[in-house]
Amino acid sequence: MQMQFSYEVKDTYAEVKSVGRLNMVAAPKLREVVNEVVAGGSNRVVVNLAETNFMDSSGLGALIGCLKAARQAGGDLRIAAVQPQVKMVLELTNMDRVLTAYPSAEEAFGDD
Amino acid sequence: MTDVIARRGFHGPSTGEAIESIHNELDALWDDASFVPDMDRMTFATAVIEAAANIVQHALPAAEKPVEIDVDISVRPSRLVARVSAFNAREPFADDMQASMPDSEAESGRGLALIEALVTTVTFERQDGTNTWILTRNT
Repeated sequence: MQMQFSYEVKDTYAEVKSVGRLNMVAAPKLREVVNEVVAGGSNRVVVNLAETNFMDSSGLGALIGCLKAARQAGGDLRIAAVQPQVKMVLELTNMDRVLTAYPSAEEAFGDD
Repeated sequence: MTDVIARRGFHGPSTGEAIESIHNELDALWDDASFVPDMDRMTFATAVIEAAANIVQHALPAAEKPVEIDVDISVRPSRLVARVSAFNAREPFADDMQASMPDSEAESGRGLALIEALVTTVTFERQDGTNTWILTRNT
Protein backbone atom coordinates (compact mmCIF):
# COMPACT_ATOMS: atom_id res chain seq x y z
CA MET A 1 0.00 0.00 0.00
CA GLN A 2 2.22 2.78 -1.31
CA MET A 3 1.42 6.38 -0.47
CA GLN A 4 1.01 8.47 -3.59
CA PHE A 5 0.74 12.16 -4.29
CA SER A 6 -0.18 13.84 -7.53
CA TYR A 7 -1.07 17.39 -8.35
CA GLU A 8 -2.94 19.43 -10.88
CA VAL A 9 -2.64 23.19 -11.37
CA LYS A 10 -6.09 24.70 -11.94
CA ASP A 11 -7.19 28.29 -12.71
CA THR A 12 -7.20 29.66 -9.17
CA TYR A 13 -5.47 26.99 -7.11
CA ALA A 14 -3.36 23.83 -7.29
CA GLU A 15 -4.87 20.56 -6.07
CA VAL A 16 -2.60 17.98 -4.44
CA LYS A 17 -4.23 14.55 -4.17
CA SER A 18 -3.12 12.34 -1.31
CA VAL A 19 -3.85 8.62 -1.57
CA GLY A 20 -3.17 6.13 1.23
CA ARG A 21 -1.68 6.47 4.70
CA LEU A 22 -0.18 9.84 5.54
CA ASN A 23 2.44 8.53 7.99
CA MET A 24 6.15 9.09 8.70
CA VAL A 25 7.05 7.38 5.42
CA ALA A 26 4.72 9.50 3.30
CA ALA A 27 5.15 12.81 5.13
CA PRO A 28 8.48 13.84 3.50
CA LYS A 29 7.03 13.05 0.06
CA LEU A 30 4.05 15.33 0.70
CA ARG A 31 6.44 18.13 1.67
CA GLU A 32 8.41 17.58 -1.55
CA VAL A 33 5.32 17.68 -3.76
CA VAL A 34 3.85 20.80 -2.11
CA ASN A 35 7.24 22.57 -2.21
CA GLU A 36 7.43 21.76 -5.92
CA VAL A 37 3.92 23.13 -6.49
CA VAL A 38 4.69 26.35 -4.58
CA ALA A 39 8.07 26.75 -6.31
CA GLY A 40 6.22 26.38 -9.61
CA GLY A 41 4.23 29.52 -8.84
CA SER A 42 1.02 28.19 -7.26
CA ASN A 43 0.68 29.58 -3.75
CA ARG A 44 -2.98 28.59 -3.26
CA VAL A 45 -2.86 24.89 -2.54
CA VAL A 46 -5.64 22.45 -1.70
CA VAL A 47 -4.67 19.05 -0.31
CA ASN A 48 -7.46 16.66 -1.23
CA LEU A 49 -7.66 14.00 1.51
CA ALA A 50 -10.66 12.07 0.14
CA GLU A 51 -8.54 8.93 -0.24
CA THR A 52 -6.47 9.32 2.92
CA ASN A 53 -7.99 7.21 5.67
CA PHE A 54 -5.08 7.55 8.08
CA MET A 55 -2.84 10.38 9.21
CA ASP A 56 -0.41 10.37 12.16
CA SER A 57 1.44 13.24 13.83
CA SER A 58 4.20 13.08 11.18
CA GLY A 59 1.61 13.56 8.45
CA LEU A 60 0.07 16.42 10.42
CA GLY A 61 3.54 17.97 10.84
CA ALA A 62 4.03 17.81 7.06
CA LEU A 63 0.70 19.57 6.46
CA ILE A 64 1.71 22.32 8.90
CA GLY A 65 5.08 22.70 7.12
CA CYS A 66 3.28 22.88 3.77
CA LEU A 67 0.85 25.49 5.14
CA LYS A 68 3.80 27.62 6.22
CA ALA A 69 5.46 27.23 2.79
CA ALA A 70 2.28 28.36 1.00
CA ARG A 71 1.82 31.34 3.35
CA GLN A 72 5.47 32.35 3.00
CA ALA A 73 4.84 32.48 -0.75
CA GLY A 74 1.92 34.83 -0.09
CA GLY A 75 -0.79 32.21 -0.45
CA ASP A 76 -2.53 29.63 1.69
CA LEU A 77 -3.02 25.88 2.05
CA ARG A 78 -6.40 24.33 2.72
CA ILE A 79 -7.52 20.76 3.14
CA ALA A 80 -10.56 19.10 1.62
CA ALA A 81 -12.70 15.95 1.93
CA VAL A 82 -11.31 15.02 5.36
CA GLN A 83 -12.12 11.45 6.46
CA PRO A 84 -13.06 10.47 10.06
CA GLN A 85 -9.61 9.40 11.35
CA VAL A 86 -7.93 12.52 9.97
CA LYS A 87 -10.70 14.69 11.47
CA MET A 88 -10.12 13.00 14.84
CA VAL A 89 -6.35 13.72 14.75
CA LEU A 90 -6.97 17.36 13.75
CA GLU A 91 -9.45 17.83 16.61
CA LEU A 92 -7.39 16.09 19.32
CA THR A 93 -4.36 18.23 18.44
CA ASN A 94 -6.48 21.43 18.15
CA MET A 95 -5.15 21.85 14.62
CA ASP A 96 -8.66 21.90 13.12
CA ARG A 97 -8.62 25.66 13.86
CA VAL A 98 -5.42 26.16 11.85
CA LEU A 99 -6.00 23.72 9.01
CA THR A 100 -9.51 24.55 7.87
CA ALA A 101 -11.31 21.63 6.25
CA TYR A 102 -13.60 22.14 3.27
CA PRO A 103 -16.08 19.59 1.90
CA SER A 104 -14.39 19.48 -1.51
CA ALA A 105 -11.30 20.80 -3.30
CA GLU A 106 -13.53 23.05 -5.48
CA GLU A 107 -14.99 24.75 -2.40
CA ALA A 108 -11.68 25.33 -0.58
CA PHE A 109 -10.92 28.63 -2.34
CA GLY A 110 -14.50 29.21 -3.43
CA ASP A 111 -14.99 32.15 -1.05
CA ASP A 112 -12.20 34.33 -2.40
CA MET B 1 -5.81 -14.43 32.90
CA THR B 2 -7.93 -12.54 30.42
CA ASP B 3 -8.84 -14.43 27.27
CA VAL B 4 -7.21 -13.28 24.08
CA ILE B 5 -9.73 -13.27 21.23
CA ALA B 6 -7.38 -12.21 18.44
CA ARG B 7 -3.70 -11.41 18.31
CA ARG B 8 -1.21 -10.03 15.77
CA GLY B 9 2.44 -9.13 15.99
CA PHE B 10 5.49 -7.87 14.21
CA HIS B 11 9.22 -8.04 14.84
CA GLY B 12 11.87 -6.51 12.61
CA PRO B 13 14.36 -3.70 11.99
CA SER B 14 13.24 -0.27 13.21
CA THR B 15 12.48 1.35 9.82
CA GLY B 16 9.66 3.04 7.94
CA GLU B 17 8.83 -0.30 6.35
CA ALA B 18 8.12 -1.66 9.84
CA ILE B 19 5.46 1.04 10.27
CA GLU B 20 3.68 -0.11 7.11
CA SER B 21 3.89 -3.76 8.21
CA ILE B 22 2.52 -2.96 11.67
CA HIS B 23 -0.35 -1.05 10.07
CA ASN B 24 -1.09 -4.07 7.86
CA GLU B 25 -1.11 -6.29 10.97
CA LEU B 26 -3.60 -3.91 12.62
CA ASP B 27 -5.88 -4.09 9.57
CA ALA B 28 -5.64 -7.90 9.67
CA LEU B 29 -6.43 -7.88 13.39
CA TRP B 30 -9.72 -6.04 12.77
CA ASP B 31 -10.58 -8.63 10.10
CA ASP B 32 -10.08 -11.31 12.78
CA ALA B 33 -12.09 -9.36 15.38
CA SER B 34 -14.82 -7.71 13.32
CA PHE B 35 -16.92 -6.91 16.40
CA VAL B 36 -14.49 -4.19 17.55
CA PRO B 37 -16.30 -0.86 16.93
CA ASP B 38 -14.90 1.52 14.28
CA MET B 39 -14.15 4.24 16.85
CA ASP B 40 -12.02 1.85 18.93
CA ARG B 41 -10.16 0.57 15.85
CA MET B 42 -9.43 4.10 14.68
CA THR B 43 -8.20 5.43 18.01
CA PHE B 44 -6.21 2.35 18.98
CA ALA B 45 -4.54 1.93 15.57
CA THR B 46 -3.53 5.60 15.64
CA ALA B 47 -1.96 5.21 19.11
CA VAL B 48 -0.06 2.04 18.11
CA ILE B 49 1.32 3.67 14.95
CA GLU B 50 2.33 6.78 16.93
CA ALA B 51 4.20 4.64 19.48
CA ALA B 52 5.92 2.61 16.73
CA ALA B 53 6.82 5.77 14.78
CA ASN B 54 8.25 7.29 17.97
CA ILE B 55 10.63 4.31 18.20
CA VAL B 56 11.60 4.45 14.52
CA GLN B 57 12.25 8.20 14.73
CA HIS B 58 13.85 8.50 18.16
CA ALA B 59 15.20 5.19 19.53
CA LEU B 60 18.99 5.04 19.41
CA PRO B 61 20.96 1.80 19.61
CA ALA B 62 22.57 1.06 22.99
CA ALA B 63 25.58 -0.67 21.38
CA GLU B 64 26.54 -2.03 17.95
CA LYS B 65 23.32 -4.00 17.44
CA PRO B 66 20.67 -2.00 15.55
CA VAL B 67 17.33 -1.20 17.19
CA GLU B 68 14.58 -3.70 16.48
CA ILE B 69 10.91 -3.04 16.91
CA ASP B 70 8.48 -5.58 18.33
CA VAL B 71 4.72 -5.18 18.46
CA ASP B 72 2.19 -7.48 20.11
CA ILE B 73 -1.42 -6.42 19.74
CA SER B 74 -4.31 -8.32 21.28
CA VAL B 75 -8.07 -8.05 21.39
CA ARG B 76 -9.57 -9.11 24.74
CA PRO B 77 -13.23 -9.26 25.79
CA SER B 78 -13.44 -5.63 26.91
CA ARG B 79 -9.99 -4.30 26.14
CA LEU B 80 -7.43 -3.74 23.40
CA VAL B 81 -3.80 -4.14 24.47
CA ALA B 82 -0.58 -3.34 22.59
CA ARG B 83 3.02 -3.81 23.69
CA VAL B 84 5.29 -1.76 21.46
CA SER B 85 8.96 -2.43 22.19
CA ALA B 86 12.35 -1.15 21.10
CA PHE B 87 15.03 -3.86 21.48
CA ASN B 88 18.76 -2.95 21.76
CA ALA B 89 17.74 0.64 22.50
CA ARG B 90 19.12 3.31 24.79
CA GLU B 91 16.91 4.79 27.44
CA PRO B 92 14.86 7.57 25.78
CA PHE B 93 15.88 11.19 26.32
CA ALA B 94 13.59 13.15 28.61
CA ASP B 95 12.94 15.57 25.71
CA ASP B 96 11.51 12.74 23.63
CA MET B 97 9.08 11.88 26.43
CA GLN B 98 7.23 15.23 26.47
CA ALA B 99 3.50 14.58 26.43
CA SER B 100 2.21 18.15 26.19
CA MET B 101 0.80 19.48 22.90
CA PRO B 102 3.22 21.99 21.29
CA ASP B 103 2.04 25.29 19.76
CA SER B 104 0.25 25.34 16.43
CA GLU B 105 3.38 26.33 14.45
CA ALA B 106 5.33 23.23 15.54
CA GLU B 107 5.87 20.54 12.92
CA SER B 108 6.65 17.75 15.39
CA GLY B 109 6.24 16.79 19.04
CA ARG B 110 2.53 15.86 19.08
CA GLY B 111 2.91 12.06 19.09
CA LEU B 112 2.93 11.35 22.82
CA ALA B 113 0.18 13.83 23.61
CA LEU B 114 -1.87 12.21 20.90
CA ILE B 115 -1.24 8.72 22.32
CA GLU B 116 -2.41 9.87 25.75
CA ALA B 117 -5.58 11.32 24.26
CA LEU B 118 -6.36 8.10 22.37
CA VAL B 119 -5.98 5.29 24.90
CA THR B 120 -7.16 4.46 28.42
CA THR B 121 -3.71 3.76 29.88
CA VAL B 122 -0.12 4.32 28.71
CA THR B 123 2.73 2.65 30.60
CA PHE B 124 6.43 2.82 29.81
CA GLU B 125 8.83 0.10 30.98
CA ARG B 126 12.57 -0.31 30.57
CA GLN B 127 14.03 -3.74 31.22
CA ASP B 128 17.23 -5.44 29.98
CA GLY B 129 17.88 -2.84 27.29
CA THR B 130 14.32 -2.95 25.97
CA ASN B 131 11.94 0.01 26.07
CA THR B 132 8.28 -0.99 26.03
CA TRP B 133 5.14 1.07 25.67
CA ILE B 134 2.03 -0.69 26.92
CA LEU B 135 -1.15 0.84 25.55
CA THR B 136 -4.62 -0.24 26.59
CA ARG B 137 -8.03 0.92 25.50
CA ASN B 138 -11.23 -0.20 27.19
CA THR B 139 -13.91 -1.09 24.66
